[in-house]
Amino acid sequence: MPLPSFSLATADGSLHHFPTGRHALLCFVKEDCPTCVLSMPLIQAAAEAFGESIDIWCIGQDAEGNARLAATFALAAPMLDDSSLHVSYRYDLDTVPTIILADAIGDELDRFIGFGRSDWQALFQRLITVTLSPAPVIDWSRYPESRPGCGSKSVEPGIAERLEAEMEGSPIRARRIDVGESDDIFEFMFEQGLTDGLPVVPPTPERVVRMLTGTKRDPQEVVGIVPPNLAPVTVEKIAINAVMAGCKPEYLPVVLAAIEAITTEQFNMHGVLATTLFPTPVIIVNGPIRDRIGMNYRMNVLGQGNRANATIGRAVQLVVRNVGGGRPGEVDRAALGQPGKYTFCFPEFEERSNWESLHVERGFERTDSTVTVYAGGAPNGIIDQLSRGAESLATSYGLALATSGHPKQYGHGEIVVVIPPEHVDTFAKDGWTKDQVRARIQEVTARPARELIRDEFCAEGITLQQAERIGLDTLVPKFRDPKNITFVVAGGEAGKFAAYLGGWVSGPMGSQMTTVKIRE
Amino acid sequence: MHDTTWFEINGKPSVFIASTEFTDAAEAQAVALGFPEVRRIFVPHPIQDATDDEMRAKADAIVDLVIEALVD
Repeated sequence: MPLPSFSLATADGSLHHFPTGRHALLCFVKEDCPTCVLSMPLIQAAAEAFGESIDIWCIGQDAEGNARLAATFALAAPMLDDSSLHVSYRYDLDTVPTIILADAIGDELDRFIGFGRSDWQALFQRLITVTLSPAPVIDWSRYPESRPGCGSKSVEPGIAERLEAEMEGSPIRARRIDVGESDDIFEFMFEQGLTDGLPVVPPTPERVVRMLTGTKRDPQEVVGIVPPNLAPVTVEKIAINAVMAGCKPEYLPVVLAAIEAITTEQFNMHGVLATTLFPTPVIIVNGPIRDRIGMNYRMNVLGQGNRANATIGRAVQLVVRNVGGGRPGEVDRAALGQPGKYTFCFPEFEERSNWESLHVERGFERTDSTVTVYAGGAPNGIIDQLSRGAESLATSYGLALATSGHPKQYGHGEIVVVIPPEHVDTFAKDGWTKDQVRARIQEVTARPARELIRDEFCAEGITLQQAERIGLDTLVPKFRDPKNITFVVAGGEAGKFAAYLGGWVSGPMGSQMTTVKIRE
Repeated sequence: MHDTTWFEINGKPSVFIASTEFTDAAEAQAVALGFPEVRRIFVPHPIQDATDDEMRAKADAIVDLVIEALVD
C-alpha cells in the first residue's frame, strides 16, 4: 500500500505534491516539541547533503511555529504547512517527530518516531546508498541516544474528532449550517427554532463524531420514521439532537432505543403529539445500563439534577421537534401540556424491589437493558403515610386512582404508578404480589354503572343507554384490564408517597406501552 | 391530513374536515407533507361537548362545501 498522496504548500504558497517521482523524506514536526527541535539540525543536514537527489520536506503542524522553526534553523528543506492537520491525520500520526522515507511511487521504506541516534545514523547510511552522495559531517556525540517524541497535534483531545468529521469517509452527512462569527451561537439556535425553549449545546461536527462513539451502529442506519412529518431519522440525526440535549456518548444507545420505541405503530407518537390532552413519552429505563451511565433511581427520581435522566428524555423530545417537525402550536395541540414535555425519563430501582422489574415482567431478561415508553401525564401524588398493611395501602391507591382523568371516567386504559421504597416494604411485609395490588385497586374503584351516568349534577360520565347496556347495578372497575396498571419502583428511602402518571387513550386506537431492548 | 394527502396521491378526491381550532395544525402538516393546497373545511369549535343536534347543524352548514370540494 502506498502512503496517502497529498498536496501541501509552504508559507509562500508554493505547492508540493506527494509522491514526488523520486525518493522523499517526510519529517512531521511541531515547534513546541523539544524532540522535534533536537531533530531539526539533522533534517537540515540531510537536506544539505541529499537534497539535490531526493525530496526532503519538513511538515509542520502549526503555521506560526513552522515559520519560527524554519527561521531558527535557516532551513534548506521546504517547510510545508499542515496546520489543518489533515495530512497528519491521514498518516495516522500519534507522535512527532515522525520521519518517513518513501520511494518514487510513495511506498514507505522506513519510518521512525521520536529521536533515536541509531535510527538517524541508519537513515543517513541508507540515503548515502540511494543518492551516492558523500556522508555529511555530523558530530553524533552532541546527540543523546534517544528521546521520546511528543503527541501529534492531530490526536489532541477534540481535534481528532474534528478531523474525523472533516475527512473523506466522515460519518457526518447532515447539512452544515454556518454561523456568522459575530453571531451568538446560542441566540442563533433559538432563532432557528431548534430548541425547546432552553439553550442547547451547539452540535459541532467534533461533538457529533464524539457522540457517535457511543454506538457501534452505522451512522446512516435509519432508526425510525418520526411523526408528524414522517421523516426518516438516522443514528447521525439522533446523535446531533443528543448533543444538543446535553447527552454524553454513553447515553446514546438509550436514546436510540427510545426513538425505536416511540416510532412504532403501537406507540403512535403522532397521536401522542397531536392530542389536546397531556401525554408525552415517559421513558422508563431498566437493566444494567442504568448504573453504567449513572442514572438516578433514588431520591428525587422524577425531578431535576441527574444528567442522564434529564438529557436522554430531552434528546427524544428534540428529535420529535427537529426531525419530525412536532412543534407546539403547530401539530402539537396540547391545551396545557406538562413539564414532562421538556424531558421525562427515569430508571427503575430494581434492587429495592422484591417484585419482578418492569422489563422482566414484559418478557426480557434481568440482564437485558431496556427502555419502556409510555404515553403518560405529569406525576400526581398519592400520599399514604399511615398504612401499615398491604390491603390498606392498596386501598389508598385505588381511592386516588379513581379520580384519574375524572372520577366519572371509567374503562380507563393504561396507567403507571411509581412506588417508593417505603411502600414496597409495606406490600412486601404482607407478601403481596403486584396482581394482588391490581385486584384491590379494581375492587376499590368499582362503582355501579348508575353512578357513572351523565346527569345535571355533573355532565361528565357515560350515557344512560350505555349504563343500561352494562346493567345499572353492575360494578364497573376503573380500568378495562388490571394488566394495564403498571408498577415501577423508584425513589428515596424516606417518604411514603407514590405517584401515578395518568394515561392517554390506550389500546389500538391510542398508544400502547412499548419496550425495546437497548443495543449497546 | 396524512390520510387526505394519501387519498389524493392515489387519485381519490378527498377533503379534510376539522374544527376551527385545528387550522394552524392543518396548515403546518399540509406544508410539511408538500401539499399546501390540500382541500380542507373547518367547522366551528368545539365539538367535544356538542349535542347531536349541534353536530347536525355543523354538518349541514358545510355539506355543500364538502360536495363542491370533492367534485371540483
